[in-house]
Amino acid sequence: MAHRTLDFLFSPVDPPKPSAERKNPLAKDSTFDADAVTALQDEFGERIGDVTLYANEHTVYVDRESIVDVCTFLKDRFGYVYLSDLGGIDRFTEEQRFEVLYNLIAMERGKRIRLKVRLDEEDPVVPSVYEVYPAAGWNERECWDMFGIRFDGHPDLRRMFMPEDFEHFPLRKEFPSLGIPGSLPLPSQTDDGEIVEDPYPAAHGSKPLRRTPFPE
Amino acid sequence: MEVRTDQNEVFSFWPIHNERLFARLESKHLHVEPSTDPLEAEMSLNLGPQHPATHGVLRCALKLDGENIKSCVIDIGYLHRGIEKLAENKTYQEFMPYTDRMDYLAPYSNNVAFCLAVEKLAGIEVPLRAQYIRTLMSELSRISSHLLWMGTMVMDSGALSVFLWTFKYRELLYSIFDEVAGARFTVSHSRIGGIAGDLSQRGVDMIEDFLPKFTEELDEWMPFLNRNRIWVDRNRGVGVITKEEALAIGMTGPNLRASGVKFDIRRFEPYMVYDRLDFDIPTREEGDSFARYLVRQDEMKESVRIVRQCLDTLATLQGPIRVDNAKHAYPSKNEVYYSMEGMIHDFVMTDTGVCPPKGAEVYHATEAPKGELGFFLISDGTGSPWRMHINSPSFTNLQALENMLEGCMIADTVIIIGSLDPVMGEADK
Repeated sequence: MAHRTLDFLFSPVDPPKPSAERKNPLAKDSTFDADAVTALQDEFGERIGDVTLYANEHTVYVDRESIVDVCTFLKDRFGYVYLSDLGGIDRFTEEQRFEVLYNLIAMERGKRIRLKVRLDEEDPVVPSVYEVYPAAGWNERECWDMFGIRFDGHPDLRRMFMPEDFEHFPLRKEFPSLGIPGSLPLPSQTDDGEIVEDPYPAAHGSKPLRRTPFPE
Repeated sequence: MEVRTDQNEVFSFWPIHNERLFARLESKHLHVEPSTDPLEAEMSLNLGPQHPATHGVLRCALKLDGENIKSCVIDIGYLHRGIEKLAENKTYQEFMPYTDRMDYLAPYSNNVAFCLAVEKLAGIEVPLRAQYIRTLMSELSRISSHLLWMGTMVMDSGALSVFLWTFKYRELLYSIFDEVAGARFTVSHSRIGGIAGDLSQRGVDMIEDFLPKFTEELDEWMPFLNRNRIWVDRNRGVGVITKEEALAIGMTGPNLRASGVKFDIRRFEPYMVYDRLDFDIPTREEGDSFARYLVRQDEMKESVRIVRQCLDTLATLQGPIRVDNAKHAYPSKNEVYYSMEGMIHDFVMTDTGVCPPKGAEVYHATEAPKGELGFFLISDGTGSPWRMHINSPSFTNLQALENMLEGCMIADTVIIIGSLDPVMGEADK
């Protein structure tokens, strides 16, 4: 059998090589929207940050204050009428710790674009795009629930999955996978028993159960 | 404000959560007129989370005016398992079986959706035969998911027999999954870079056997339902959502297509071999519960067509089912058992797995039976993702439920929830 040199597209520790972009077998035309990106840069100038491309996917970094304007602009001028996805990212050790991503679809033009906003750890607040895309409602609630990123102008910013009584933000990197002991009160196993705080004391070092001091 | 349960007990469990939930319910459409007449008094009803008609653990807090729903707040998260957090501590291949547990009615679609996202992240090309088998099995799981939806939906509206008919065919489908993937329910058959095992001749025979039987039976069921007075009356004009509303609130999948938007990821961003296949996208204009039923019913027929074409192609298309690159996918078992390198690669794949480049981030969407299922992945150059975000269709669809329920009759709640086809395992992530 003839010897064949292994064809690496990348080495894991380095950023992706430009040649890897073209070779990506799953790259789609729909995620490359040069028109919209150019128009955004012309219209907003400095308020648009870097534009990155990986696997033929455009990511546009947007200044926090102008995210609503950018969304409105894309919706009116480029037919991005549909918000497909919105989510948070914790970069943990980086300078601007949090990111919020917006995934928009222009159905008529067959395009998809990703916007990103970067936030400081001290002030994780973004203007809500609820007025432009009502679909963002629950996604922003989820993002607040999981990362503690607040959305200014959201009509109903409650937690999405976790109960309101929960104090932590689970998808932040410092939150342990095992959970924080005592953070989730659960009903007792018997009818007349009290509510217990830690369902798995053994997992947290066999501490005895603490009783919740809920008011009568 | 003191919040009470339906038995008039004070909430002692997660009190702040319930207080805020009901505060939201009260504040939604504000105007509340106090009345002393019990017949005119408004009433709060807590439907779920443990209710057979909510298809899992969906909780609706409803404010009723007689039989009309004045306002509604949906509470989800009772099945929240933190699947996105789990992914951050697992290798890509290790995480794949967890996707079975998201939309547990169509596990194969989820496996494929996740593997495609990882393959896009790492630039892995999957052999054509594997792509055809993936497509075929995804479509079978679409039929399986729609069958369960149809059975339970018709059962919710009071007819039991359809449930038994659909489950007869789901049983056949599960036998096919068992034969092809080795498991009936949680298949976990897809691998990064291909699939675990090839389609056996027995599997092909079972599918060949299933298709004509199912098509014939489906055509027999439809007149029973489409012209059934009770079924039509309970669905037509119920839970109407217009095209504009559906787009704004971000509905997806069959629910969006029932409102007249011809949007399907299989055509919008063709993945796998969908661009080589001939199929239509059923669309309806009405946007009511009946339209959603008709769209799903047509989708099952389209899926049969797709499966047929895949089978025909697979009969002549031979080739590998996993990419032959030890840095991208598991080596074949032959190689693992009979060569040293194969065994080392098997260990390395299990231990570390595929390592996409540092800082790469991709989003790959697929058309799951419920709608657009997308995985957003960020790599940090190691074998596990730095961040995985799931865009799950049930979550997106449920958001529209609040708007749809408000103004309806209480008896239609069950129909509307059923017609949206939510799966809580997916909505709660």
